[in-house]
Amino acid sequence: MKKLITGAVLLGAASTASAVAPGGPNCGWGNMLFAGQSGIVYHFLASTTNGTSGNNTFGMTSGTNGCSTDGTLTYGGKAMVSAMLDEFSEDVARGEGDALTAVAVAFGIEADDRATFARVAHDNFEVIFPSADVTADHVIASLESLIKADPQLAKYAA
Amino acid sequence: MLSSALLAQTPTLEDYLRQAKEQGLAHEPVWLNLVHYDRTGPADTPQYRSQVDDDKFFLAENGRRDSVAELEATLRGLFAEQPQGNQHARCRFPARTAWLQEQLAFGAEQLPELSCPDYAEWRSIVKAERVTLIFPSYYLNSPSSMFGHTLLRLDPADESHSEWLSWAVNFGAEVVPGDNSMFYAFKGLTGGYPGRFNVEQYYRKIQEYNRDENRDIWEYPLNLSTQETERMVLHLWELKEIDFDYYFFDENCSYRVMELLEVARPGLELTERFENTAIPIDTVRGALENGLGNSRVYRPSKASELKERLRYIPEYLHPRVIALSHSTDEMQQDWFTALDAPMQARVIEAAYKYLRYRQVGLERDPAAAKTSFALLGALRQHAQALPREDTIAPGPPDLGHGSRRLSIGLGQAENLDYLNFGLRLSLHSLEERGYGFLQGAQINLGNFQGRLDEDGHLRIERIDLVDIFSLSPRDRFFKPLSWKVITGLEREWINGRERQVVHVNGGAGYATELAPGVQTFALAMARLEHNSQFSHDLEPAAGLLTGLLWHFEQHTARLELGAEKFANGVSRRRAVYRHGIALSAAHALSLEFERHWGDVHHSTRATLRYHYYYAP
Repeated sequence: MKKLITGAVLLGAASTASAVAPGGPNCGWGNMLFAGQSGIVYHFLASTTNGTSGNNTFGMTSGTNGCSTDGTLTYGGKAMVSAMLDEFSEDVARGEGDALTAVAVAFGIEADDRATFARVAHDNFEVIFPSADVTADHVIASLESLIKADPQLAKYAA
Repeated sequence: MLSSALLAQTPTLEDYLRQAKEQGLAHEPVWLNLVHYDRTGPADTPQYRSQVDDDKFFLAENGRRDSVAELEATLRGLFAEQPQGNQHARCRFPARTAWLQEQLAFGAEQLPELSCPDYAEWRSIVKAERVTLIFPSYYLNSPSSMFGHTLLRLDPADESHSEWLSWAVNFGAEVVPGDNSMFYAFKGLTGGYPGRFNVEQYYRKIQEYNRDENRDIWEYPLNLSTQETERMVLHLWELKEIDFDYYFFDENCSYRVMELLEVARPGLELTERFENTAIPIDTVRGALENGLGNSRVYRPSKASELKERLRYIPEYLHPRVIALSHSTDEMQQDWFTALDAPMQARVIEAAYKYLRYRQVGLERDPAAAKTSFALLGALRQHAQALPREDTIAPGPPDLGHGSRRLSIGLGQAENLDYLNFGLRLSLHSLEERGYGFLQGAQINLGNFQGRLDEDGHLRIERIDLVDIFSLSPRDRFFKPLSWKVITGLEREWINGRERQVVHVNGGAGYATELAPGVQTFALAMARLEHNSQFSHDLEPAAGLLTGLLWHFEQHTARLELGAEKFANGVSRRRAVYRHGIALSAAHALSLEFERHWGDVHHSTRATLRYHYYYAP
């Protein structure tokens, strides 16, 4: 019963979220599940440079790329969830895994509560991932709502 | 009186400059490491040249070559009031600052008051209390990665943290987009690219190696203390956006990683033995031998993971797994409903992994995304029943045989006895002990064999400059090409005597596994040969190469049958049987029979050799 209620709450949240462009115009979190890579060029660069695929990073994010940073996650956190959406979806389906842990850490969830986070995410798989075309923005918004709705996790809500 | 007493108590910049000179700090190993100086010239009048190729990194005008001037300029910079903020020497060079403070015993309060917002922000993001050495395994499909790669991972002390969010410190060449791989190899060898450090979250590296390139990753937790780690991180900041000369063989990713470890723990000598070539796995061994670590963690590639999962599914279901990866309607079929719950879960998981494996490197395909999503939903429904096993790790790469090989043996060719001796600079042949190496990956660079005939003649038997053979069996799930490239010098019987010929060969084909440990292959080959007896400088040939490779316990049998026909009509056939017996990681025996059939002359050769493996 509780699951149903959270589901309903989330559906509301999700429709609000999708009314505006995900994360703002031209924001990277519009990234869909199974986004794929941009073909051969992408792979080619990665494998020949021994470095990153062209971008020279040093652990710092410059600005927010025009993305809105409302909510629990920082810009870096949202970009990260977006970048590991595929792995995260598989871990949620399974109920465990490294990507699930990484996302829990990004939400600031302490080690003791991560099993709860994993269970809540797993139980609400269909809510977090309603279709193959779900975007990172929706996934993040759903997780925030789930965290808020769970008595043990509510303390991590923004 | 009072003021002069105060002055006496508080040394000035000039005092520290004098003191630094007296202590010879500019020649101290720690300083030389921090500025990446190479020492040349005689010991009493040393000359220095920094491997950093970037004016931003030096405060003295001639700092690249003048260690004394650079140290002096650094000290002056630390005490200077200007420039304020991020560009101040103290903000840009925190490791130099810390070391000079320690050596000259001055406190931060003696330096001008200052804030370094960029550095402070970076430190608040990059949490580092432990260091892990990372070895993404051999990757034959790119010349720059065939020997593997090394990078570092910075982890927080908290054991319950997410390694995915740790920071990876990677040194790589900055390649201009559009350059192709051949160009990279050439420019890489000659230092044509600048190399830079970059820092990004480790999950990006997992995606790059485990998923995009399907390479296993080996992780070696190091025992650097928090203080040693801190020293490395301070120095890492100094290398932000700094260009190094990048050379493929020596001053490469692995060499730079070793340098960072030397900065972390002064007194470590890791780079010295790698001045000529730094093969990544040798540098890992070097770190372990120097007491930096003794354990390893295996992180399988997506392909390794899938292969492992398939082992738990009986062969007769394998075609069903493939069918399911195309359509979840299969779950309504009798074959699926008849399975018990754990097997249903396994089949779904394998089908999902196989579908995702096929999509790597491709643009998003809406149909595949839809099927992936349906399988993911099914996995969610069956997750409870899914058995969880730990992945079984293959032999770790640091425990494989050494990269270099010395050989000595006896041979007989056409009733002529000879002594055979050889040196191979790197790395591995298929008939050798495969433990720790990528299965089916032969990578030989710089293989030299000579022989001393019983009549006293000293000859070159063969030189393989490049000898790469990627033998990848095809099966229902994986459809790789097998390919081979070999170039060098060898001996052929032509017009009544054995002569040296220079050759380049390339070919591709298929391999299959007949039984566990038994593989067979067939490749179409092309050859270009330079031969004094041919009328053209380069004579092309087309050929065929088939063979069988059989591993059993410490034995490996390799049989190859080859035939080639040149454009000028000359044809050759040959049969080679090589039998390798691995005695240990360092010692091996091999027995080789070779039979050549030329248009006129036939020849036979037999060699028994002993091999000693070591790391340079």
